[in-house]
Amino acid sequence: MRFSPLAWAKLLFLRDLGPTEVGGFAISDAQDLLYLEDFVLIRQECSPVTVAFDDEAVAEFFDAQIDAGRRPAQFARVWVHSHPGTSATPSRVDEETFARVFGRSDWAVMAILAQGGQTFARLQFHTGPGGSLQIPVAVDWSRPFAASNWPDWNQEYLENVRPDEFCHHQKFREHAGPFSVSEMLDVLADDSHQFFNEKGPT
Amino acid sequence: MKILFINNDGAGFADHIEIADGTTVEQLFRKRVNQGSPADYLIRVNRQPASSDQVLQPGDRVSFTPTKIEGAGRI
Repeated sequence: MRFSPLAWAKLLFLRDLGPTEVGGFAISDAQDLLYLEDFVLIRQECSPVTVAFDDEAVAEFFDAQIDAGRRPAQFARVWVHSHPGTSATPSRVDEETFARVFGRSDWAVMAILAQGGQTFARLQFHTGPGGSLQIPVAVDWSRPFAASNWPDWNQEYLENVRPDEFCHHQKFREHAGPFSVSEMLDVLADDSHQFFNEKGPT
Repeated sequence: MKILFINNDGAGFADHIEIADGTTVEQLFRKRVNQGSPADYLIRVNRQPASSDQVLQPGDRVSFTPTKIEGAGRI
């Protein structure tokens, strides 16, 4: 599976813009479905370790893409999200979503990009005997590509990514860029310590 | 009568299909979705959430889209 340089740059930009995971769909080339021309955020609620798409926003995305003349195979088959830390290995939640949501389509890819740069992509298909296999992820520099567009990407992030309550913690607000897993656990530990100090033993 | 039907299952498509007059949303779902329950989909008619007993009209735009798309990192 190959990202266009533009799609890859946008994904990295959005991954690093805030303290949370982010997710969306890749837009595929009509003639080459594993060449990803773009990455589009869906309105979502996120924490440093979770991302959940808004169901209405998914429907709106489908409508907009159909109106743009694309087929579902071009815009709804490659599900991409980021992970904190260094591991791009799918979690149990990732696996459940991939099976439940994408198990009904002829084929789909679950793609994960970790904060540390590790990538993961698995193609599952349900035609013929069916099956799944891990596929390599690359950036394809062989085609012309457009320049970055930080203002629009930033706006897309602001319009779609809703950090959950945890992200309003003072330490998150003061933190620039993504949180590491250890930093996040420190925040949770501090909160627990403060909570029990205030409440006392029950 | 014809409606525009957007379906993500299988190969996925958005196309005009022929349905019988008086077809409800639930009847269309039962006919078009082989597996899965309505709870796994957001069903909209003309971009608005639809009830199961809503009777479809000529030219309606009906979409069945997936719900609860969630990911989580490993800690």
